[in-house]
Amino acid sequence: MAISTATKAATDALAVNRAPVSVGAQEVHRWLQSFTWDFDKNRTKYSTKYKMANDTKEQFKLIAKEYARMESVKDERQFGSLQDVLTRVDAANRVHPKWNESMKVISNFLEVGEYNAIAATGMLWDSATAPEQKNGYLGQVMDEIRHTNQCGYINYYFAKQGQDAAGHNDARRTRAIGPLWKGMKRVFSDGFISGDAVECSINLQLVGEACFTNPLIVAVTEWASANGDEMTPTVFLSIETDELRHMANGYQTVVSIANDEAASKYLNTDLNNAFWTQQKYFTPVLGMMFEYGSHFKVEPWVKTWNRWVYEDWGGIWIGRLGKYGVESPASLRDAKKDAYWAHHDLFMIAYALWPTGFFRLTLPTAEEAEWYEANYPGWYDMYGKVYEEWRARGCEDPDSGFLPLQWFIENNHPIYIDRVSQVPFCPSYSKGASTLRVLEFNGKKHSFSDQWGERMWLTEPERYECQNIFEQYEGRELSEVIAEGHGLRSDGKTLISQPHTNKDGRLWTIDDIKKIGCVFSDPLKAL
Amino acid sequence: MTIEVSGGRRGLTDPVIAATILAAIPDQPLETQRKMNYFVTPRGRRLNEYEVLCCYTQPTPDWIPGGLDWGDWTQKFHGGRPSWSNESTELHSTDWHKHRDPAFRWHALYVKDKAEEWRYTDRFLKAYSADGHVRSIDPVWRDEVLGDYLGAFGFSEYGLFNSHSSVVRDCLGDTLRMSSAMIGLDKVDNAQMIQAERTFLAKLVPGFDESTDVPKNEWTKGSIYKGARETVEEIWQGTYDWNEILFSGHMVYDPLFGQFVRREFFLRLSAYYGDNLTPFFINQMQLYHSQTKGITTDMFHTCLADDPAFGDYNKRLLRAWSDKWLPRTVNALKDFMGIFAKIPEIKGVTSKDAIEAALERVFDDWKRDYADPIGYKVDTAALIKTVLTGLK
Repeated sequence: MAISTATKAATDALAVNRAPVSVGAQEVHRWLQSFTWDFDKNRTKYSTKYKMANDTKEQFKLIAKEYARMESVKDERQFGSLQDVLTRVDAANRVHPKWNESMKVISNFLEVGEYNAIAATGMLWDSATAPEQKNGYLGQVMDEIRHTNQCGYINYYFAKQGQDAAGHNDARRTRAIGPLWKGMKRVFSDGFISGDAVECSINLQLVGEACFTNPLIVAVTEWASANGDEMTPTVFLSIETDELRHMANGYQTVVSIANDEAASKYLNTDLNNAFWTQQKYFTPVLGMMFEYGSHFKVEPWVKTWNRWVYEDWGGIWIGRLGKYGVESPASLRDAKKDAYWAHHDLFMIAYALWPTGFFRLTLPTAEEAEWYEANYPGWYDMYGKVYEEWRARGCEDPDSGFLPLQWFIENNHPIYIDRVSQVPFCPSYSKGASTLRVLEFNGKKHSFSDQWGERMWLTEPERYECQNIFEQYEGRELSEVIAEGHGLRSDGKTLISQPHTNKDGRLWTIDDIKKIGCVFSDPLKAL
Repeated sequence: MTIEVSGGRRGLTDPVIAATILAAIPDQPLETQRKMNYFVTPRGRRLNEYEVLCCYTQPTPDWIPGGLDWGDWTQKFHGGRPSWSNESTELHSTDWHKHRDPAFRWHALYVKDKAEEWRYTDRFLKAYSADGHVRSIDPVWRDEVLGDYLGAFGFSEYGLFNSHSSVVRDCLGDTLRMSSAMIGLDKVDNAQMIQAERTFLAKLVPGFDESTDVPKNEWTKGSIYKGARETVEEIWQGTYDWNEILFSGHMVYDPLFGQFVRREFFLRLSAYYGDNLTPFFINQMQLYHSQTKGITTDMFHTCLADDPAFGDYNKRLLRAWSDKWLPRTVNALKDFMGIFAKIPEIKGVTSKDAIEAALERVFDDWKRDYADPIGYKVDTAALIKTVLTGLK
């Protein structure tokens, strides 16, 4: 066979230099943008009113194998810590019981967001036309699988090694019983995957990840650590290292549509809707989990919120996007009001409905009540007094036959569910900004707690038809609902949820609930 | 003590805080069932870590078979289309959560394997280059076959990779979604490995063109990959049913066309042309193919074809899909036969008898592993005869 000129040149080159040569990830990645080709049917299966630019670049220039190497290194550190030193010091049994309960919710609900983000970024991978942009979303698809597994690992770890496995061991089944679940699905599930692809990206990356993962994934680690939990910081901070890529994806999504005419028409409305969607749930729920789900406090939630959401995100992050026409959401001001009181309102309702949870809730102790009053003046008169009354009526004691939900009924304070956010609210007993609005459509009544959600519904009511828990459970007796939703421990009679974490307190059973004879009703039917 | 903790004090190590925490912890654990996901039916004898970490992460309601949730979606697409829905596929299942990756790989195990492959690739390339192996590659094979036609095959892998995007969005189960993402990533990895090989050759062989221009031209305008390109485009963007995308790509096109191109052309022939570089990369692709085959046969055979309620219906539909995708794949192979006219002939290796034997291996494998389990009747000899008409 003839020796070509090129072969001779290669042979000559080797004669001079035999240094080992390899190929770096960047040397491959630089060709990525040319991997696609034009053809007739090459368009997304998920419509968007925006047009993403064909030449959009990604900021994290990874190829598949380099991605795997990077993540594998992080996994080794993380799982090494969990399986070695933290297990040897019995760390799961050195967590404050209140926080042990909070992690049943936080880890599982974050898992829902991470899981749905797999599908969401699959949709964006499909929608983008630039191979680099597709690659950025692909990296996120894989990250979200990682995070889903990591969040599951927290519950798995606490179940296997901790003080109360119930709820950790079956959160994926029992989470659907209670009042916090549907709202979680709105923000962390359907809000990410159902709609205009770019609108979903704004929900997921521009708001969910760039705004709320900071308090959810970073700030939570301080609260965890203060309450003896070192597992959560080990895992969540490893998750957060990937979130930077996701924020960059969100940024690049905006960059990719910046020159599109549709952006000037719709982008700020979509951002405002996405922000309100996310904040409506996360502002009260995160505040509640941090403050009411801990014994040791790091700082008032309103301060955390102000720093991460208002200043960092609403100011700096959105400010950086200003050159692309992005403005801070108009609803940010109303959200700021919610940051002060909404989590106190929500805890009151969540505690009133405690038997439907998959975790134990605890009323504030005397020293916690002092802390609340010092940081939220007026707290005692609105909430503290009521908790004293509930406690005096035996709300923690199964023999009392008293569920705090009865207090709402006795005092004519009906609890409604906001149709759009699925967040429960009590307009007649609330310090937050909730106001009751009721609209009728197709023979069905719908309640709303704020103007922003109401506007979304008025524009597209067909997107928000989901039944709420009162409609679903109407006429059903509470113990039946709990049993059907598998809300019992392995002895078949003790509830997973409890209204206290007192180690000497008796645990409620399904019979204790049955004796009360609590039957669900739909408050909208009384209007 | 105050309950507000500042200065980064940690409950695990601060003696005062730790004492308060320990005093609050129950003397005995409150629950004896410590196995997470204890309610999941394991594939094997015991629930494994993969099943614990992956199963039922998908929050679908019970009207999507296998779901644990209830009720409607809290937000839908514009116009009211649901987030996930049974009508996204023509196939039926009694449990969309039944699938398992036979290797039980959750994310950490998947990236661990691939990270090792990357590190080993780096070490291999250094040794290969230092050893001067590149001198032995036949120039036509190197410059035309690897430069142009292997490069063009990268587009097939890249297109198949992209076909997974809507599957990852639309499929109805958690283990399905994770498996689909992983086998999708393997496909883009294949495309990137092909480019890595070409870039590597360009570093060793002055004048070797690493650019994607010529391969792309071959892929989009040439005759050798015409049938393949049209099939890949239809799988990627012409098909909306997520199961059909997976089936057409992984149960028909890739086990026939992909296997012939990778295993029976590049892998088998490279050694005859002095190329021991390409087998290194192709063997990684073959590993991925093997793992993918385990995953997709579990999806389509173990779960859907053997579904207790819908097995017969599903098999009928899979056979109908085979009828649809097999002729296109055969046509892709027929077009690919044109490549044999581009390489120096080696008797018994690239001659018709050897090509026919290679086709027989691929078609026999496909019949045994893919067609027979769904009762698909196929005359492989006739198909091979059709393919061979593409020889120039």
